[in-house]
Amino acid sequence: MHGPINEVIQFIDLNAYTITFLFLVGFIGGLVSGFIGSGGAFVLTPGMMSLGVPGTVAVASNMCHKFPKALVGAIKRYKYGQVDIKLGLIMGVFAEIGVQVGIMVQKYILDKWGQAGSNLYVSIIFVLVLVTVGSFVMRDAIKMKRAPTEAGAGTSLAKRLQQIELWPMLTLKTANLRISMWFLVPVAIATGMLAATIAVGGFIGVPGLMYIVGVTSIVASATELVIAFVMGLGGTLIWAYYGMVDIRLVMIILAGSLFGVQLGAIGTTYVKDYMIKYVMATIMLIVAVSRFFALPKYLNELHLVSMSETAVTVTTKMSFAIMCLALLIGASIILASLFKARRLEKMAALNA
Amino acid sequence: MNNETDASRPNPQEDHLSGEPALSDRQRERPCIMVVTRNGHMSEHVMDYAVNVGHRLRYAILAVHVDTLPFFRDRGRRSRLFAAAMQESAALFRRKAEGKEVVVEHLGELGKIGSVVSRLCHSKKRIEFIVIDKGIRLEEIVRQAPVPVFPVLTSKQGLFNKTLFHHPKEKGVFAMSTTSRKRHLNHCFLFGALTTGLYAAVFANQDVVMTYFTKGGVFALLPVATVFAVSYFHGNFTSSFWSALGIEASKKGVAKRVEPEITVKETVVAPRPDTRPRVQVNA
Repeated sequence: MHGPINEVIQFIDLNAYTITFLFLVGFIGGLVSGFIGSGGAFVLTPGMMSLGVPGTVAVASNMCHKFPKALVGAIKRYKYGQVDIKLGLIMGVFAEIGVQVGIMVQKYILDKWGQAGSNLYVSIIFVLVLVTVGSFVMRDAIKMKRAPTEAGAGTSLAKRLQQIELWPMLTLKTANLRISMWFLVPVAIATGMLAATIAVGGFIGVPGLMYIVGVTSIVASATELVIAFVMGLGGTLIWAYYGMVDIRLVMIILAGSLFGVQLGAIGTTYVKDYMIKYVMATIMLIVAVSRFFALPKYLNELHLVSMSETAVTVTTKMSFAIMCLALLIGASIILASLFKARRLEKMAALNA
Repeated sequence: MNNETDASRPNPQEDHLSGEPALSDRQRERPCIMVVTRNGHMSEHVMDYAVNVGHRLRYAILAVHVDTLPFFRDRGRRSRLFAAAMQESAALFRRKAEGKEVVVEHLGELGKIGSVVSRLCHSKKRIEFIVIDKGIRLEEIVRQAPVPVFPVLTSKQGLFNKTLFHHPKEKGVFAMSTTSRKRHLNHCFLFGALTTGLYAAVFANQDVVMTYFTKGGVFALLPVATVFAVSYFHGNFTSSFWSALGIEASKKGVAKRVEPEITVKETVVAPRPDTRPRVQVNA
């Protein structure tokens, strides 16, 4: 519509529905990211594609909205003393390497088994990672809620790793621990690889920081924002180099998500440690269910199973709806606990 | 514990119930402790110390806030903030004292600490001793005070600038909420306007923007620079937007989270086994 550019890439026209949808998803995604360090992105890419945005533009624009959001969230949470910048930057650099590795793996699978195979791979990774890590985090959150310990992050694995003195030892002040860099690198690379595969590295990054490095969930989720910023900036530069970023979509999503990320960051100062794990695990498990419903489509395309066309459409739609539901449930838990804690604090201040 | 002992002694409770005028009469006769601060918010450990001693000795308390820079050239902003902080601090002090049935009189003064103290000691009768808050040097006051002066030391006393200035992280529930709300509102309008301008500029020139921003190569810096601008303007706008609505971080939570860092430093710099407030005698 707008001259010669549309001959190259199809950028969509904006209407009221598109703008409202992107703004709202941006807001809810931002709220969740501000709180647990990542999230929202996994709904935005398919969401934008359902509006008619080409896949690459959707991925590029999503990436481009992610890093300013992470930046704003990280600054906000830095003010609350929750961010370990050193940890975040080191992890971010290695996560960037992980992203490149992840892209290579994706390419290899794409060459070998085609688009459907690649989609199946992404979905299987989704389900596997989210179910394993999600249920582990959920179990821990429930345990912490029942018997609140002083430092929730003191898992035996993390403690043992911290005692191993291997040459580049890092002293992390905010995280309040000392650990060899060699144990950060695998976590960071896994984060990057997951980010390249399912767009949300935080689902490995935050649990990795909590259980392997031994950071509290509040510092882990805040530091994940720094990692997301570094990864997002690197990714955006690459995508923008190929001219794939639709700045209008990015700005609309950002308009909503910055409201959300601020609120999410404020929320972390009110809740107890286990609440972050709880919200994260809930979202992860529901998203895993959603991806499970997406599997039939790809299995059908690969002729591994034969299902009717309507059944596939229904499961695909259900998959997207459940994904949105995951985000909505996460957001409502955050908002409910934020406002409940605020009310309690006000009452306590009045009674004091 | 305190309530029980108070209940077992009928006299103070009767005094308390006998009404306001009786209190002020009694206050005139009673010896009192003068507590002096130059900060807007008096330190809580000083208040606690004064209230405890007042309770034990059955003394009244005269809390004095001295604005040492009344003509500071910022068009009265410092004075206004000081006055607001003083009100909050006085209210807190009164609440603390109420529990122990100690009478607190509050005064706001202007001028040099030494001269204010000397004037008050001569005009007010029966000031037995003076307790000074952090930020006041003993020498400033000792020469002009006719009664003993005690600083209250705790391990929580920090660096020099921390003792002189009220640190926002430690402001607790009694923040200077009225003034900061207004500032947030101003920020909200300023950055709101800037954000709107930026969005209007991009969306009004969609065609041009999309042509150049998607060219790739060096033009990749355009979208990246734009989103950085958005994150600055819109980020500040959203931040002050929630603050202006009164949705801010939990004060308790922030203080709690900042605490471990401070305690680590303290143990390294000056290990002090006993952290109770203590009195240093100079006279």
